[in-house]
Amino acid sequence: MAESKLLVKGAVPPPLDRELTVVGKPLNRYDAAEKVTGQAKYAGDIKLPGMLYGKTLHCPHPRARILKIDTSKAETLPGVMAILTKENTKGWRTSWYEVLEIAFPETITHEGTEVAAVAALDVVTARKALELIEVEYEVLTPMPSAEEALKKPVPPLVGDEEYPGREMFDRKPFVIQRGDVAKGFEEADVIVEDTYTTQVSHHGTIQTRACVASWDGHDLTVWDAAQGVWNSKRALAKSLGLNPEDVRIIVRYLGGGFGSKAWSHRITYYAAKLSMVTGRPVRMERTRGEEFINHSRRYDTKMYLKMGAKKDGTLTAILQKAIVDIGAAATEENYYCRQIIWHTANLHACPNVYLEQTGVSTNKQTTGPTRSPMNMQAIFALESHMDRMAVELGIDPLEFRMKNYTTYQSVGTAEAHMMGDGTTTFAAKIPYSSKILDECMRLAADGINWEKRRAPISDDKGPVKRGMGMASYLVLQGVGLYPYAAEAKTAIKNDGTIDLYVGVVDIGGGQKTILGMIAAEELGVRADDVTVIIGDTQDTLYAPSCHASRCTPEMGPAVLQAAAEARQKLFEHAAFLLDTDAKRLGSKDGLIYVKSDPSRSIPFKKACQNMAPDETIIGIGSRAPNPAEPMMATFGAQAVELEVDTDTGLVNILKCVAAQDFGKPINPKLCTSQVYGGIEFGVGFALTEEGIYDSKTGKLLSGNLSEYRMPTSMDFPLVQVYLPECEDPYFAYSAKGAGENTNAPTPAAIRNALYNATGIWFNDLPITPDKIIRAVRATGGETKGMH
Amino acid sequence: MSSAQNFSGSRRHIALTVNGKKVEADVDHSMTLAEFLREKLDLTGTKVGCNRGECGSCTVIIDGMTAYSCTILAIEATGRDVLTIEGLTDKGKLHPLQEAFIEHDALQCGYCTPGMILSVKALLDGNPHPTELDVRIAIDGNLCRCGSTPNIIEASLDVARKMAEKKGH
Repeated sequence: MAESKLLVKGAVPPPLDRELTVVGKPLNRYDAAEKVTGQAKYAGDIKLPGMLYGKTLHCPHPRARILKIDTSKAETLPGVMAILTKENTKGWRTSWYEVLEIAFPETITHEGTEVAAVAALDVVTARKALELIEVEYEVLTPMPSAEEALKKPVPPLVGDEEYPGREMFDRKPFVIQRGDVAKGFEEADVIVEDTYTTQVSHHGTIQTRACVASWDGHDLTVWDAAQGVWNSKRALAKSLGLNPEDVRIIVRYLGGGFGSKAWSHRITYYAAKLSMVTGRPVRMERTRGEEFINHSRRYDTKMYLKMGAKKDGTLTAILQKAIVDIGAAATEENYYCRQIIWHTANLHACPNVYLEQTGVSTNKQTTGPTRSPMNMQAIFALESHMDRMAVELGIDPLEFRMKNYTTYQSVGTAEAHMMGDGTTTFAAKIPYSSKILDECMRLAADGINWEKRRAPISDDKGPVKRGMGMASYLVLQGVGLYPYAAEAKTAIKNDGTIDLYVGVVDIGGGQKTILGMIAAEELGVRADDVTVIIGDTQDTLYAPSCHASRCTPEMGPAVLQAAAEARQKLFEHAAFLLDTDAKRLGSKDGLIYVKSDPSRSIPFKKACQNMAPDETIIGIGSRAPNPAEPMMATFGAQAVELEVDTDTGLVNILKCVAAQDFGKPINPKLCTSQVYGGIEFGVGFALTEEGIYDSKTGKLLSGNLSEYRMPTSMDFPLVQVYLPECEDPYFAYSAKGAGENTNAPTPAAIRNALYNATGIWFNDLPITPDKIIRAVRATGGETKGMH
Repeated sequence: MSSAQNFSGSRRHIALTVNGKKVEADVDHSMTLAEFLREKLDLTGTKVGCNRGECGSCTVIIDGMTAYSCTILAIEATGRDVLTIEGLTDKGKLHPLQEAFIEHDALQCGYCTPGMILSVKALLDGNPHPTELDVRIAIDGNLCRCGSTPNIIEASLDVARKMAEKKGH
């Protein structure tokens, strides 16, 4: 076992020096029973006495100015209790991430922006009131897409129109470069260039945004649908001019997030304000349509790539120019200005790169992370291009990736953010804390029977063609700095109860279970001996929002430290009972024993009884920031076998094999579920999901679940998951983050398999049947074996 | 906008069976069955993910058949026998499907879970020996964004297998 370098502040707890009895076991999730019985209360299920129902009115235009807004008729409707508009909320701003937006602007910058919020005695009245609000707009010409926007000068701002983050990002290239890219191309034997596009996509959480806000004249309590309670608490307090101590956020259960609920969103602010105005609790819930037009979305991109390699497959140069549609608002909190190019810079070894990423403000919905925010787009282009190179070089795609394998990264975390003139030149080679991507690639290839892959194009007779493809990915792990600081608390009482307080949210990834298991292991008790208090700012310490696979790598070390500290304090009591020194004690499975003579032991509970009746042992854990070195990341590879009907354009994914480097999974059952979830997202992004906008009006045309087509049970492939383990001394039991980014390689793997099947490169996502049929026809049926 | 505005205030008396219990109420014409279950009976296990018959999270069983309770008016349910997720547990004892969903981790966020379980229950009630394809078809109208589908299929087939074994004894 490598020396523990656990990322905690203060002393690193000593290693357990025994086999693990909880961590690594495929236990059932802690909150499963509540969920299968319908007893789990989500935000929209909360009902309080005297509660009002809130609704919002949305602007139907992507860019418009309110000339007149008249609420007089709505105000006289019986049952209407309060109406908010720009007229009575001047100067008030809401917050998304740390992007401050005008609560009710006069000039609208994206379709779906709220122009009024109503609180009424019931939903029917609230809806009726919205219809009675008269709004007169001056419709302005929108910037419907990044490409269109770039053709024209930036339009002059009208009224209070603003695009947060525009000064920083709009039309500004951010660059990562190393070596000499011109020289790299000179050295290359093969050079390939191509352009890839990716679409707008949506989170599609089955629970739409919902909240209940209750103001009692001093304290604000909010049951929210958010992935973070502490970040939301602080942002709400700031927006409403309250002391953060007087704001409590509760998220007991969350119906999916995928980034869309990273912080509280606008309806929570409106509900809180309406509650403050009326003095009554207010519930608000978004409709599915509102969810589509008034929420963050996945940034659509256009990515040009040029790559050079020597005959033997050694990469010599990569040039990239990526354009990202950042919509109506973006700051460094929710738009990562180097994220695409960081992935291109670091997945494979290449001495010479010049990579450029340019954001463009438009009148599309606000941006916001969506499962693998820009990783999936970046990996799609990069891993697609790698296969193209492999074909041109005549090298097997798996071997080509192995040939350019790297154990270090070349751009540090700090440099991945804003710096000076926007250019990052960084030649340092920083090793990863752990990396077994090579093993993952081999496992994925073996699992799909890669050796049976027919190169380069299958010779199937008839319209149905079969093919295999693969892709790999990497993603950064953890930060440890505000707003991602992480603290945890363990409390042990005289009666033997053990409480773990964690200020994160279980978004469905099993965070409650995983953190409980870490505490149980470290305390030496059984998994169900620990009660986990989660999703509530009351009684917990600061914790990050649960996104970017953050919970395990950020919170894990803090929980471990908190549990270890509490255990050592309890050992003092046990030492007294066992007549020995606390340092000589160990614990496991609910027993505390003398390490040199395990037959001398007492039950954990017995040691607790030695505490004074009102005594509580407290253990605190605190995550230290990631060091400058080494670099922390998780990795993975996926391989796909599919059939495509070249007559109908339908793709049938027969099998998907995913091999993931998560360090050590705390709970392999839950990790596997997360991988399934990633593949669901990846399959949808590759084949069917697309936010479609009208090119003239800029309006969203696909704002419901029948037009925005997410995979169903009929689309879900057979999935095989491998979780090879490696040691990583920086994390709790070597557990790196797992879930979020497992969709990153799926689209490229599918696209590469489609090439293997048809001999056609599909560069524009999603690869819908019409694109396949058109491309097949364009080959004039020359594709081998096609009739 | 719903037809609520035209009929607001227009109410009708309904009587139906929900989870084995007789229920009577005066409801607004425009109220959906999902709203009735959630707001009037506090049966919030029935989730509403889209309110337009697309996501399946509001699935309940009416007279043995699955239905999207958001697409049915409460007044249409009068005289019917409605089963929601809350009616599946028998005196606190979990239904075998609920146990299998837990064991196979056939849920993540849990929001589609009640509807999903009821869709599988309706399948197994009518087809005790389903194939994998039968299960896929039965839950095709229930979206799960977390990607629990493979585990839901496993859990469903596992229950079918165990029920068949039980009958065999």
